[in-house]
Amino acid sequence: MNLILIIMILALLIPIYEACKDNDIWQKMLAFASIATKTSVMILVISVLRGDWMIGVVGVLILSLGNASLMLLAQILKRIKIIDN
Amino acid sequence: MISYLSYFCIGVGLIFWFWGTFPLVGDRSVLYKLHSLSVADTLGSMSIVFGLLLQIPSEWPLFILAIISLAIWNTVLGYVLAYCSSSEDNQQ
Repeated sequence: MNLILIIMILALLIPIYEACKDNDIWQKMLAFASIATKTSVMILVISVLRGDWMIGVVGVLILSLGNASLMLLAQILKRIKIIDN
Repeated sequence: MISYLSYFCIGVGLIFWFWGTFPLVGDRSVLYKLHSLSVADTLGSMSIVFGLLLQIPSEWPLFILAIISLAIWNTVLGYVLAYCSSSEDNQQ
């Protein structure tokens, strides 16, 4: 299970690098959405690894709420772009 | 046997993750990246969570909730991101 976690951290480094590198806002949003999903699944793996279900509940909460906040943020960004244009 | 199946599911999920995340680094369009990323993140994460469910079946309500919220929210987020990023291009 530790090996699985290390591979997951390696996969997580790719969107973090992309979010740092790219200046386009939609590319950054994509990278952030990917980071949100990956970290919450990692939290679930850690909760199974430690047998601690308090951590698991936090992971499921992030899975169901984190994406919703990203959707709201995308709508706000679209409105701001329209106003700017 | 169940343990091997669970590790197989987690391995498939990890392969999906890498397959879908590597196009993010290239210079393709946002929609291309969004497609591969949403397929990989949704299916790969669902496979990983299913593998975890096989490991500890006693906590199935939590994992089923995780799988359902992954399936619904990641799909809807893909649609919303595609709509927002492409309608901005139409404006210009």
